[in-house]
Amino acid sequence: MSRLVAGVWLLMLLGVGTANAQMQIQYEDYTLPNGLRVLLSEDHSTPVVTVNVWYNVGSRNERVGRSGFAHLFEHMMFQGSANVDKGEHFKLIERAGGDMNGTTNEGRTNYFETLPSNRLNLGLWLEADRMRALAITPENFENQRSAVKEERRLGVDNQPYAPAFTEGSTLIYDSTECFAYAHSVIGSMDDLDRAEVADVQEFFDLYYRPNNATLTVVGDFDPTEAKHLIDQYFGDIPRGADPPPVECSYSIEAGAKTRTWEDEHANLPAVIVAYRIPPHSHPDTRPLSLLATILGEGESSRLNQAMVREEKSALQAAAIPNSRRGPGMLLALAIANQGVEAATLKQQLEEQVQRIVRDGVTDAEVEKARNDFRAGYIFQSQTTMQLADRLQHYLHYHDSLDDMYGDLDKYLAVTAEDIRRVAATYLTPANSYTIIIVPKAGASEEVIP
Amino acid sequence: MAQQRSSRMSLAGTALLAGCLLSAAGSLLHAQYPTDPPPPGELRPLQFPDFRETRLDNGLQLIVVENSRLPVVSISLNLPAGSLYDPVGLEGLADIVAELITKGTESRTAEQIAAEIEGVGGTLQATSGSDFFAVTATVLADHVGLAFDLIGDVLLHATFPESELELARTRFLSALRVDKSDPATLATRFFASEVYGAHPYGHSQTEASLAAISRSDVVSFAGMRLAPQGGLLVVAGDLSPTDAQHLAERHLGSWQGSPPEVTVPEPPAPKATEIVLVHRPGSAQSNIRVGNLALRPRDDLYYAAVVANKILGGGADARLFLKLREEKGWTYGAYSGIARRRDVGFFQANTEVRTEVTDSALTEMLRQIRRMGSEPADASELAAAKGFLVGSFPLSIQTPQQVANQVATVKLLGLGDDYLETYRERLDAVDASEAMQAAQTIMRPDNAVVIAVGDGRALYDKLAAIAPVRIVDVDGSPLTPDDLAPTATALEFDHASIVARRDSFRIGFQGNEIGYQVSEVVVGADSLLYREQMSIPMMGAQQVGTVRLDPASLAPLAVDISGQIAGQAMNTRLTYDGNHVTGYTQAPQPSGTPDSSDIDATVADGAIDLNAIQLFLPALQLADGAAFTFNAFDSSDGEPRVVTLKVSGSEEVTVPAGSFTAFRVELSGTPQPAVYFVDTAQPHRLLKIELVGQPLAFELVN
Repeated sequence: MSRLVAGVWLLMLLGVGTANAQMQIQYEDYTLPNGLRVLLSEDHSTPVVTVNVWYNVGSRNERVGRSGFAHLFEHMMFQGSANVDKGEHFKLIERAGGDMNGTTNEGRTNYFETLPSNRLNLGLWLEADRMRALAITPENFENQRSAVKEERRLGVDNQPYAPAFTEGSTLIYDSTECFAYAHSVIGSMDDLDRAEVADVQEFFDLYYRPNNATLTVVGDFDPTEAKHLIDQYFGDIPRGADPPPVECSYSIEAGAKTRTWEDEHANLPAVIVAYRIPPHSHPDTRPLSLLATILGEGESSRLNQAMVREEKSALQAAAIPNSRRGPGMLLALAIANQGVEAATLKQQLEEQVQRIVRDGVTDAEVEKARNDFRAGYIFQSQTTMQLADRLQHYLHYHDSLDDMYGDLDKYLAVTAEDIRRVAATYLTPANSYTIIIVPKAGASEEVIP
Repeated sequence: MAQQRSSRMSLAGTALLAGCLLSAAGSLLHAQYPTDPPPPGELRPLQFPDFRETRLDNGLQLIVVENSRLPVVSISLNLPAGSLYDPVGLEGLADIVAELITKGTESRTAEQIAAEIEGVGGTLQATSGSDFFAVTATVLADHVGLAFDLIGDVLLHATFPESELELARTRFLSALRVDKSDPATLATRFFASEVYGAHPYGHSQTEASLAAISRSDVVSFAGMRLAPQGGLLVVAGDLSPTDAQHLAERHLGSWQGSPPEVTVPEPPAPKATEIVLVHRPGSAQSNIRVGNLALRPRDDLYYAAVVANKILGGGADARLFLKLREEKGWTYGAYSGIARRRDVGFFQANTEVRTEVTDSALTEMLRQIRRMGSEPADASELAAAKGFLVGSFPLSIQTPQQVANQVATVKLLGLGDDYLETYRERLDAVDASEAMQAAQTIMRPDNAVVIAVGDGRALYDKLAAIAPVRIVDVDGSPLTPDDLAPTATALEFDHASIVARRDSFRIGFQGNEIGYQVSEVVVGADSLLYREQMSIPMMGAQQVGTVRLDPASLAPLAVDISGQIAGQAMNTRLTYDGNHVTGYTQAPQPSGTPDSSDIDATVADGAIDLNAIQLFLPALQLADGAAFTFNAFDSSDGEPRVVTLKVSGSEEVTVPAGSFTAFRVELSGTPQPAVYFVDTAQPHRLLKIELVGQPLAFELVN
């Protein structure tokens, strides 16, 4: 039900980091006989509780010809189940005073509700009902397929830059070697059109099984009661077959490539330089994150200062890391000011990257990036929802949940030399894929006969 | 599909009980899976953190809510310096002061302030509301010293640079222009003014008031009203009361002063229900507001009133929504709300509906409001409303920032120290009879202020059947019923001004170029064509249109428009046979399928087809103050109309083609009003077009 945000400045950074001693999240970890993994973390500071389910399926699990399924599925999950009418999930949560939503990305699909703590049972029951008996009907399927296509139309196809960004991002890895990371989360219009309700049922049967899900409960609850409820609601949902693993071969320095994209909605050129980066669990993720901040986040970043303020070549310039469970990308991008050519943007983006490779970053910049990261990490530790997602994140995106303890400290220990090193390793021409977006020729040239 | 859910509650209840009775030794037996949503457990206690109150020597009240769970601190400094205190004639002054106060101090520039707070990953902002002016900051605990430093600096040493005032004035004037063309905002402004009368809560910013604000007004307001006496500083998070006190004394201790008392007039006494009809000629929709003054903040009736309001119009589950939208299909949404102020607040129900159903919608709204005060709500409505209100409260106090906001509200409105602790219980205790009685007090359909912003011509008679109607224009000037039906007169054109020409316009959106329009007059031996071609790539919009006219009489003969927007066809074909026009028009819809309608209408003699209006503008006898009311046909909705072009003055206009003195010509009476800027010098070229309410402008390039 969430909006898959396909706007140009799509920020997919998952703020990872570990905590000071104050922020050690305590939790209990067990698995039901049917394979459902459960993480329970008590926090009695406010009488609220979050129920947060991650299904271990995202766009990376999709097959050729079936792109967009994970996201389409997320829509289907709000259309009712055996004991819940269409639209009733929302009403029940609202009447209980709660909040809810769902999101999909390449690595997982997540469903969550935050409720006053005396309604834990409702949150658990709703998640169990749709895990056990989602109402997959031709009618629901058609409705949601239309909704997703419309979402794609409005959010991607009819927006300037979005198609180039969405589709261009899929070209960075080779789709024959790593289709998992070489297609978009929202999927192609063709694949969405070809999908049939039987495909959706098959997807559900394979991926929406307790053995492929993690249930996290964070907040004000009694663990004995919670475990009873979880057992009562989820315990007899049958386990499914183990889904196939994700296959992906890739290499970091796959060779420089460029692609020009004609965009009928854009009226200014833009350039995206995408660099391949390793999976999130790789130690270089930390310096890459701080590098992205220094290079292109905020007013005082290198790209903003150089291209927007000084050269005035760019209307906007930024660096965005997209760190994923598998291979990811770091994007340096800019939209041109009037009269500036794409070639100029490309040259300046590369120059700013080169400056860091050659001369490194200043101590003040490192301090600012660390402060910024730490503040973000701590501010995102305040609510039960944030904490639930954090637990899920470490479980899925890292090699071990234990990485959570000490991760923030490791971020804060990143040095200027680390940052220079990763810039030199990953932000190289041989490791780049450049997308040059030009306004479609002829749109403004027509002459009345 | 979902099963019928009938009397399964007891089974579910038993199952849950059975589940709970199983010991911690583990359940070997799976309890029955409930087929109904499980019922709520007992409400969990809400331990609102203690707060410590002190007062600095300068009179500033300090409240500290310590919470060391996370190293974050939220600081909020609140002063009685909101728009309530704007001097008459300078409405908007408090907002401007809030806008400028962080844009430079004696020791820091605006950029330095921004860089310092961003450099530590924190936030700092100043805002102004009806009653209060607030400076707030949120930082990690390590940087709390910097936050206090910045707050103290902006409050004590702000410089309010002249250049920043001009930038703010320009932004505010643009925003006001947009506001006044937006019917929803107009409805809000008129409602405030009618329900509060001369009381300052009823005043709104105007062009004149914004233009009148000088730097010395800003400095004077800040100097007089931003003072510690009567102010409240709330600090929530990882900071002890002792440390908070030290920091407050260090950075705010030298701050002195007490704002002058302001006497505020009594709000108006309730009157019999009256409808103020704000006339927007040709409007296809009406914005309706119904309400009246309600409670003072400490009124005990508040809890029952909140429950009653939730039942009436508090969301997609409430009566107004279910009736006006789900059942009748008259609107996308209908809601109600209670506004709280330091002085008396108000109740208001609101909706936006198509012109044709305005009277029905208003009648229904009044009926539902009346029902609230005459019939007790049924048990399920009461449960749903209380469920939301009670349930959602803890979600609103999870972070120190949220806590600081709640505590500030409690203190500033004087709600009492146990307010937050007892809030849920007091809401939960409201029964149907209390809700009904509260509705009687705060929802008074016989003493209501009703605002209807819409097409007065279509609405007047129908609304007059509901309650007495007073008509005004969008600026508030009174109108009579006759003014609603302007008499059309025949237009006189200067034929010599209708010559072949070609004008290219660039289309701008908030200053950025997004497309172009070319308009062309083609004069043949015995033909006259007006052609327009338009393209806005980012909306996927293209259109080519031709209007064929009789060269002698200038009457329309045929219209042929082809185009598309975002993949949907947008075509119009019309044929005029004397006064009879037939054809069809297609308009794009949000659903994705264009709405096609046949046209078959009779127009008066001399009617103009509005698709060709740009052909006629240069040929009118334009002069300052001139107004032309004439018959026209609007193919966008197939309606013959009487429209008005009014020359409201002349002004300097700069467009890519150059700088000119231009007549400002306002078109009204259609669903899409517009303003045309026409060169005062011959040949009266059209220089610029603004579409009222849209951030689009067409500017002549050559």
